[in-house]
Amino acid sequence: MCASVKYNIRGPALIPRMKTKHRIYYIALFSVVLLGLIATGVFQFWPHSIESASDWGVEKRSVRAVPVVRLPADSPIPERGDLSCRMHTCFDVYRCGFNPKNKIKVYIYPLKKYVDDSGAPVGTTLSREYNELLAAIADSDYYTDDIGRACLFVPSVDVLNQNALRVKETAQALAQLARWDRGMNHLLFNMLPGSPPDYNTALDVPRDRALLAGGGFSTWTYRQGYDVSIPVYSPLSVEVELPEKGPGARRYFLLSSQMGLHPEFREELEALQAKHGDAVMVLDKCTNLSEGVLAVRKRCHKHQVFDYPQVLQEATFCVVLRGARLGQAALSDVLQAGCVPVVIADSYILPFSEVLDWKRASVVVPEEKMSDTYSILQSIPQRQVEEMQRQARWFWEAYFRSIKAIALATLQIINDRIYPYAAISYEEWNDPPMVKWSSVSNPLFLPLIPPQSQGFTAIVLTYDRVESLFRVITEVSKVPSLSKLLVVWNNQNKNPPEESLWPKIRVPLKVVRTAENKLSNRFFPYNEIETEAVLAIDDDIIMLTSDELQFGYEVWREFPDRLVGYPGRLHLWDHEMNKWKYESEWTNEVSMVLTGAAFYHKYFNYLYTYKMPGDIKNWVDAHMNCEDIAMNFLVANVTGKAVIKVTPRKKFKCPECTAIDGLSLDQTHMVERSECINKFASVFGTMPLKVVEHRADPVLYKDDFPEKLKSFPNIGSL
Amino acid sequence: MKSWRRKSLWLALSASWLFLFLLGLPPLLRPAVPPRPLPGAPEGWPHWLDAELLPSYSQPGELPEDAAPPTRAPSGGGCNWGACFDPSQCRCGGLKVFVYPAAGPTSEIHHQILASLQRSRYHTFSPREACLLLFLSPDAPTGAPIPVPAQWDGGKNHLVLSLHPAPCPKTFQLGQAMVAEASPPVDTFRPGFDVALPCLPEAHPLQGGAPGQLRQHSPHPAETLLALAEERGGWRTVGTNSSACHWDGRCEQDLAPNQTLGRATLPRATFCLIPSHHSAASRFLQALQAGCVPVLLSPRWELPFSEVIDWTKAAIVADERLPVQVAAALQQMPPARVLALRQQTQFLWDAYFSSVEKIIHTTLEIIQDRISGVSAHPSLMWNNPPGALLALPTFSTSPQDYPFYHLQQGSRPMGGFSALIQVGASAQLPLKLIQAVAGSQHCAQVLILWSSERPPPPRGKWPETAVPLTVMEGHRKASDRFFPHSTINTDAILSLDAHCSLSTSEVDFAFVVWQNFPERMVGFLTMSHFWDSARGGWGYTAEKANEFSMVLTSAAFYHRALRTLADGAPGCVDVLLNFLVAAVTKLPPIKVPYGTRAPPASGDPRPELQPPDPDCVNLMAAGFGHMPLVSSRLRLDPVLFKDPVSVLRKKYRSLEKP
Repeated sequence: MCASVKYNIRGPALIPRMKTKHRIYYIALFSVVLLGLIATGVFQFWPHSIESASDWGVEKRSVRAVPVVRLPADSPIPERGDLSCRMHTCFDVYRCGFNPKNKIKVYIYPLKKYVDDSGAPVGTTLSREYNELLAAIADSDYYTDDIGRACLFVPSVDVLNQNALRVKETAQALAQLARWDRGMNHLLFNMLPGSPPDYNTALDVPRDRALLAGGGFSTWTYRQGYDVSIPVYSPLSVEVELPEKGPGARRYFLLSSQMGLHPEFREELEALQAKHGDAVMVLDKCTNLSEGVLAVRKRCHKHQVFDYPQVLQEATFCVVLRGARLGQAALSDVLQAGCVPVVIADSYILPFSEVLDWKRASVVVPEEKMSDTYSILQSIPQRQVEEMQRQARWFWEAYFRSIKAIALATLQIINDRIYPYAAISYEEWNDPPMVKWSSVSNPLFLPLIPPQSQGFTAIVLTYDRVESLFRVITEVSKVPSLSKLLVVWNNQNKNPPEESLWPKIRVPLKVVRTAENKLSNRFFPYNEIETEAVLAIDDDIIMLTSDELQFGYEVWREFPDRLVGYPGRLHLWDHEMNKWKYESEWTNEVSMVLTGAAFYHKYFNYLYTYKMPGDIKNWVDAHMNCEDIAMNFLVANVTGKAVIKVTPRKKFKCPECTAIDGLSLDQTHMVERSECINKFASVFGTMPLKVVEHRADPVLYKDDFPEKLKSFPNIGSL
Repeated sequence: MKSWRRKSLWLALSASWLFLFLLGLPPLLRPAVPPRPLPGAPEGWPHWLDAELLPSYSQPGELPEDAAPPTRAPSGGGCNWGACFDPSQCRCGGLKVFVYPAAGPTSEIHHQILASLQRSRYHTFSPREACLLLFLSPDAPTGAPIPVPAQWDGGKNHLVLSLHPAPCPKTFQLGQAMVAEASPPVDTFRPGFDVALPCLPEAHPLQGGAPGQLRQHSPHPAETLLALAEERGGWRTVGTNSSACHWDGRCEQDLAPNQTLGRATLPRATFCLIPSHHSAASRFLQALQAGCVPVLLSPRWELPFSEVIDWTKAAIVADERLPVQVAAALQQMPPARVLALRQQTQFLWDAYFSSVEKIIHTTLEIIQDRISGVSAHPSLMWNNPPGALLALPTFSTSPQDYPFYHLQQGSRPMGGFSALIQVGASAQLPLKLIQAVAGSQHCAQVLILWSSERPPPPRGKWPETAVPLTVMEGHRKASDRFFPHSTINTDAILSLDAHCSLSTSEVDFAFVVWQNFPERMVGFLTMSHFWDSARGGWGYTAEKANEFSMVLTSAAFYHRALRTLADGAPGCVDVLLNFLVAAVTKLPPIKVPYGTRAPPASGDPRPELQPPDPDCVNLMAAGFGHMPLVSSRLRLDPVLFKDPVSVLRKKYRSLEKP
C-alpha cells in the first residue's frame, strides 16, 4: 500500500503508461482542479477588495476616468436666481416629508466630466476641497444614495471657485441634472464668487431656485433665510498647526497681514500705524524672498520678515479688509490664531451669520470710520477682549477648521429650517465648551409665583403601615391648600384597605397601586398630579403641624424651582478619607432636604423618572435607599440653586432613627448614605449640591408679637 | 492494478474537488451576488485614487493682486445700516432722538405716543443735537397730504415709525429713511436697517400693561394642545385629532368637540397656530401674552424685533405645507422644550411688548445698540430675564456686572460689600455703626456720604477701621444713596442710615444670604403695602405684620447694578427702589433677622422706621402702570436660629441675644 502511494505521488510517471483517451481525460480533469485551486488561492489572498462590505461599492477609480458628458451648445440654461426666494416659496418641503429623526436626506450626484461641443471641459472636474466636502457629506448622517428619498441634492459640479469654470456651460451642466427641476432643493457650494473686474458677491452661474452656500455674500445678494453664508476656506488651516494661545495682551494691539490691499486702504492703515506707533503693525508681501520660500507663508514690514500665519498670534486685533471680494480666507487664519477679527467690509454677510453671534467674536468697523478703528478698539474693556479672543478661536475650531466642519454646519442650518422644532439653540451654536460646561440653564427660569389657589398634591408612599398612613392622611388633610391626596401603594402582596376604611377627608383621595416595590415610584409623574406643587411625605411623618405644612407650601410658592423641605442634611468633604461624607447632626449649614417631607415642582418628577443621569435610578431601586439624595442632586444640578429648609428642627422619626438595635445600624445607615453621595457625585461628574446657612421661618417667628395675630403660630413645637 | 490505479485516481480527484468546494467556492461565489452586498449601506462618495493629486480650489497666486477700488452701495434704492445711516452725528456714541411735532390735528393716541417718546432717555428737543430724527406717521389717513418734514434731507438718519398697521400714506418718498412698522412683509424688510414692530391690537395700553397670563410653568394635564387663530378673529381650541380643519383657519366638518372663543379672549392652549396670511399677525401678541407658544405657519412677515430677539426660544416657525408633520412634532415635543418655550413667551411679553412705551423704547434701544457696535447689549441680555431695557449701557453691558446672569455664566458676585452710610442733617458720627460694619469679615470698604450742612469732622475723629474709610460730601438729597459712584468696587452695597444700629453678626449673616440672592434686596426692616379701600388707593405701613413687600434702604443689601435703575423722586427713594427691583425681578425682597432693640429714650421712636410720604406708593403705581410689589411671608434665619441646642454650636449666636 505504501508503494502504491508512492506511485501515486509520482503521477507523471504513471501517465505515459495510460491509454491515450484516458490520458487526455485525466489531464483535463487535473487542470480543472488545479485552476480551481489557483483561483481559490488568488481570492483568498486578495481579501480587502472582496470582504469589506462597506467599501464594496466604492470603486478605486481615478477622477480622470469619470464618464464624460458632452453638452450641446443649445442645451437649456437655468434662469438667473430669484432674489425673492424663501424656503416657503422656492423649496419643495414635501420631499423632506415626515422624518422621525428630524434629519434631511442629502443625495450627491455621481461625478461626471462635462465638456462642451468642442470637447473643452467646462471647468475643474473636481477640486481637492470639493472632493473633501462631498466625502464629508457622504460620511454624515444626512447622506442617502437613494435619489427618490432625498430632500436635498448636491450636484457634483464643482463651483467653489468661479474663476475655474465657464459660467454659461456650467449652468447648462446643472440644468441637465436628473432631478434639476428649476434647481428646486439643490444646494451649490461656492467660496470665491464673481470675476474681474467688478466681482459679483454671489456666484454668477444662473441657478434658478437652487440654494447657494456662498462665501462673500453682501446684503444685496444674500437671500436671508434661504442662502447660507459660509467661510472662505483657508488651506493654511491644515498646513499649519497653531496651538491655542491663552487670551490676554499681546505684542501688537492691531495687526494687518493681508496682501494685495487696495492702496487707499493701505494708506489708511499706514496712517494708523504712524499715529499709534508700535501698537499697530501693517504687514505686506515680501519682495525679496529667497528661492523655495512660499510667498504666502511670509509677511514683511520694511526689512523685518515674519512667518504667516504665526505672526497673527502676536496680535490682539487683526484687520480683515475686503479685497476684490468681500469674503477673505484671512478671516479663518485670524480666528485660528485667536486674534479678534476687525472686519472692514461694508455690507459683508459674515459666515453662518444666521446662527453665529459675531458680536461676541469680532468687531465690525464701517469702511468710512476706518480711521477711528484704533479708538473704537481701545474702548472695549479688557475682559470683553479676552472673551472675544476665546470666542474667535472657538468659532474656528467648530466651524472653520476643515471643509467638513463647513459642510456639516451648512447642512445643519438647512436642517434646522426644515425641522424648526428640533433646531439647535443659540447656546449650542455659540457657547464655547467651557461656558457650556459651567453654565446652568434653570428649567424653571421664569420668576413666577404660582397662585395660592392652585394648592398642592400630597403623595404618600406606603407599604403596609396602614394605621400610621391613616394618621398622616388625617393630619395632611387639615392643611388648607391641599388639593388632592395620592397614596402610592407599594405593596404588591397585599391589597390596600377597603374604601370604606379610609379616613373621610375633604379633598379627593386616590390610591395608585404599583407593579413593583421600588423607591422610584414615589417620584413617578402620575397623571393624577394636576397641581404644580407636590408634597412628598412618608407614611410615618405625623409630627408636622398643619401650620408648618401650609407655611412650607407658601415658601415653595416663592421658590418654585427648589426643593423646600423640613429635615435638612449636609454633605461634607472628609479630608482624611478624601471623599464625601453625609451629615445629619445639628449643623449651621444645609445642602439637602429629606424628601420624607418636602415640596417640589412636579416637573422634577418627570426629570427623575426619565432624565436621571447614569444608572442612579436603578442603583437607588436596587439599594432601596438614597432616593432623596438622588432627588437633591438632580434638582441642584439642573437649577444650580440650593434647597430651602423650612421651620426649626424637630425630632423626626427619621430614617436614621429607625434603627432597632441602636447605634450600629444607625452607623451602617450613615455609611451607606455617604456612599450614595460619593457614587452620585461621580456619576454627575461634579458636586452640584449648594451649601447655605439659612432656613425659612415665618416673618414673625419668635418675634415679640401676640401669638394670636400671627399667621402661622403653631411652628416649631416639638 | 488498473482498477486500483483508477480507484486511487478517482479518490484523489474527488478529494481535490471537495477541497476546492470547501475552500474556493464561497469566495468564488461572492462576486456573483449583486454589487451592493448590504441593502442598507449607502454607496457613498468614491475614494478617488488620485485624491491627493487634485488641485486646490484656489491657487495662492491666483487671487487678484490689485483689488477693485472701494465701491459704494449699488444704486437701486437698497439701503443698509452702513450705507444709509451716518452714526458720526451721534456724539460719543450716544443716540439722541428728535421727534417731529405732530402736524395738524392728531388723535389722542398719537399724542400719547409722542409723550412716551419724550420720556425716553434718548429724547432731545433740539433737532441739531439729534442724530436720529423720528417721524411718527399718523395713525389714520387724514386725507390731507403730509408735508415733508423740515430736516428731511433725503431721509438720511430718519426713522419713520408707524405703530398701527394702517395703510401708510406714503405721500413722500421714504428715501434713505429707516422704517419701523408693524409686521413688515419679509420681501421688503431690510434686515439690520428697518425695525420690525409687532402688530398691535387697537387697545394696547400705553404704559405699564397687563402682565403675562401664564399662571403655571408646565401645562396643566387637561390643557388643550392646540388653539387655532380664526380668520374672523378669536381662537378655536382644536382637538388634537382634528385633521379636518385647514391650517389657515377654515374648518369644513363638524366642529362639535371644538370650542370657538370670542375675539377678546386669550387662547388657553399650549400651542397657538397662526396662519400665514398677514391679517393673522395681530394674533401673535395675543398668543404671547397668554403664554400660548405661537406656532407660525410660514409667516410672510418679519417677526417683531427679530434683530435682537431669538424667537426660536419662544415660538416655532413651521412650514404650512406640512400640517401633519407639525402636529406630530408638537405632540412629541419633549416637556423640557415646552416648558422653556412657555416661560420665554412670558418674559418677552413682559419685557418688550406689554405696552406701547416698551415697544418704542425697545425700538430706540435697538438703534442705540447698532450705534454702540461693540458695546451693544449681548444677545444673552436681550433674551434672558429681565431683558436688555433694564440694563443701562452707561453702566455696563457686560452680563457679569448684573446679578441676573450668574447661573448662565457660571459666575458669582464679585468681592465683599461696600458699606454706604448716609449721615443726615444731625451730623452725628455713627461710631458704633462704623465699627460694627467694618468688623465684618466681608466688608471691603466703608463710604460715608456726608449730607449735612456742617463740615465733616477731621480725620482724627473717625474711628480706626481695618478697611478703607472714605468720606464723600454729598448733596442733600435722599436719593444720593442711589447715585452710582465710581468709588464702589464691589457688587454688593450695604446701604445704611446713620441712625441705624446693627451688629457685626447681623451684617455677616445678611451678606451671606445676599450672596445667594444677589438679584434681590436683602433688608432688616420691612414695610408692607395694602389696598386702602376707604381711600381708594394704595397705602403702606411699617408696622409689624405677617407679610411684607418692601425693605427699607436705611439698612439693606443690594447689587450695585440695581442702583443704576433708580434716579430722581426725592422722598420716595425707599419706595422707588423697591418698586424698581420688584418690577425687574418680579420677586419679593428678603428679610433677615434684626435683633430686638431697646426703645430709644427720646420721644422719637425708631427714627429709621419713619414711613415716607404716603402718596409715594400711589405715585409710583401710577407711573409703573401697575403694582409691581410682591409680598413675602417668610424671613430667612440662620439654620439653628433659636433652636433648642447649645448656643456654642451656633454660628450666629449673637443674633439671638435679647
